Amino acid sequence: MSADIKVDKIMDLKGMPCPMPVVKVSKGIKEVAIGQVIEAHTTDPGALADFPAWARTSGNEILKTDQTGDVIKFYIKRKV
Amino acid sequence: MDTKTRDELLKLFQSKLNQTMRLYLETCTRCGICTEACHAYASMGQVRYISAYRHEIVRRIYKRYFKGRGKLWPSVGEAKELSETALDELYEAAYSCTGCRRCMMYCPFGIDTQMLMSIAKLLLVGAHAEPEILTMLADTSIEKGKSLDIFKESFLAGIKRLEAEVVKKWRIEAGKKAIPIDVEGADLLYVALAGAHSIIPAAAVFNAAGEKWTLSFFEAVNFGAFVGDPTRTRLILDRIINEAKRLKVKEVCICECGTAFRTMKQMSGKQPFEVSAITEVHARYLRAGRIKVDKSRFKKKPITYHDPCQIARNAGVIDEPRYILRHLTDDFCEMSPDPRYNWCCGGGGGLVALGEDNLDFRMKSARVKVDQVKATGAEILTTACENCHTQLSNLNDHYKMGVDVQFLSSMVADALVQ
Repeated sequence: MSADIKVDKIMDLKGMPCPMPVVKVSKGIKEVAIGQVIEAHTTDPGALADFPAWARTSGNEILKTDQTGDVIKFYIKRKV
Repeated sequence: MDTKTRDELLKLFQSKLNQTMRLYLETCTRCGICTEACHAYASMGQVRYISAYRHEIVRRIYKRYFKGRGKLWPSVGEAKELSETALDELYEAAYSCTGCRRCMMYCPFGIDTQMLMSIAKLLLVGAHAEPEILTMLADTSIEKGKSLDIFKESFLAGIKRLEAEVVKKWRIEAGKKAIPIDVEGADLLYVALAGAHSIIPAAAVFNAAGEKWTLSFFEAVNFGAFVGDPTRTRLILDRIINEAKRLKVKEVCICECGTAFRTMKQMSGKQPFEVSAITEVHARYLRAGRIKVDKSRFKKKPITYHDPCQIARNAGVIDEPRYILRHLTDDFCEMSPDPRYNWCCGGGGGLVALGEDNLDFRMKSARVKVDQVKATGAEILTTACENCHTQLSNLNDHYKMGVDVQFLSSMVADALVQ
């Protein structure tokens, strides 16, 4: 969890094959209220391009991306 | 359904009516030979999964609006109104069909169910009644093509982190990049999937073969094709075509993804590069002695191979995986006497991408596949398609098949002899 961002839901998507991380996040974001934040963990390097592209098309916002070892963490705010 | 919507949908229907499609729509005699050909019918025994039944839903709409008798006297013309109910039926037909084309092998007229289901899918897209996940994934792919500069640096950083894993499989000279990317003048552009499993083994084999290769910025899978939207399909293809032209490569090699390979091979049109499946490239390396593999790596484990429908039956890559497997094992068991009649895994046509939403159907409709795998007695079940791999892994868990599901390209990489 990032110290400066209040997270409302954590999604563990590690090890999931393409395209499941984006599929799960697009469903998961609908389970939080507008303005709330989900923290998604993935090991899929393609997510570094997939998640920002999905956020642009869906109208949501990626607040921050962290990478520690193989795990990439996205902090995504539901905007719509 | 209001008249304006119906008229717009009928324009979409009309756009699909070339000579071939009309032939498919007009020649079915309902002989029933296709009945047992569909894995969903063979597994579940429900009439709605017979190929001719699926065709008939599209065909009756065709008769209602595009044939004289249906227009003038619909009640005797086996005609069907294009209505909300009809859209539900089209959805059921299209998204329970994997587009495997096994039924086409049996049809005496060669009627292509996948093509007829492409009408159903296009009407669903026009009515905004398609699975929204598939459209979302297609739009995400298209966005990456539009906004590459935004994602480029983070993507490059992510790929760099994989290089150590590649080197573990195949040592390279100091100073050489284990995963070259954006290299103008490379011979081969490799188009992977988003996961590391699609990049690391392939990179090791390219490096072992001394290939002048470069990795694509884009993922191979074409969700536009899954959802049956020709515009999105083309936009997704164009990202890769434009990249290949910009880098002036001679060959575009598609990773283990059946739909990605078939769409690139058959729908990209005349281009200044060849299109190959990674299985073809690996077989070529073995034939030319550019790579060597250790047969003892998989010793004492019988291996069978699942032919992905979009790579084998629908794109002709049948001999190459067997050639590779002859180098990997002396204990290969064929799954089907004729690979062209192999059962579909039950996960194609976008069904796997729908995830848990249709898991129950995917499991029930692929029981014949499970029986086929079990009959081989194999301990390793290998394949060359991401969709098939996911579906076969799900079946393995669900039916407790007890096999080790592997990608063929990973087996090649694991058996490389330095």
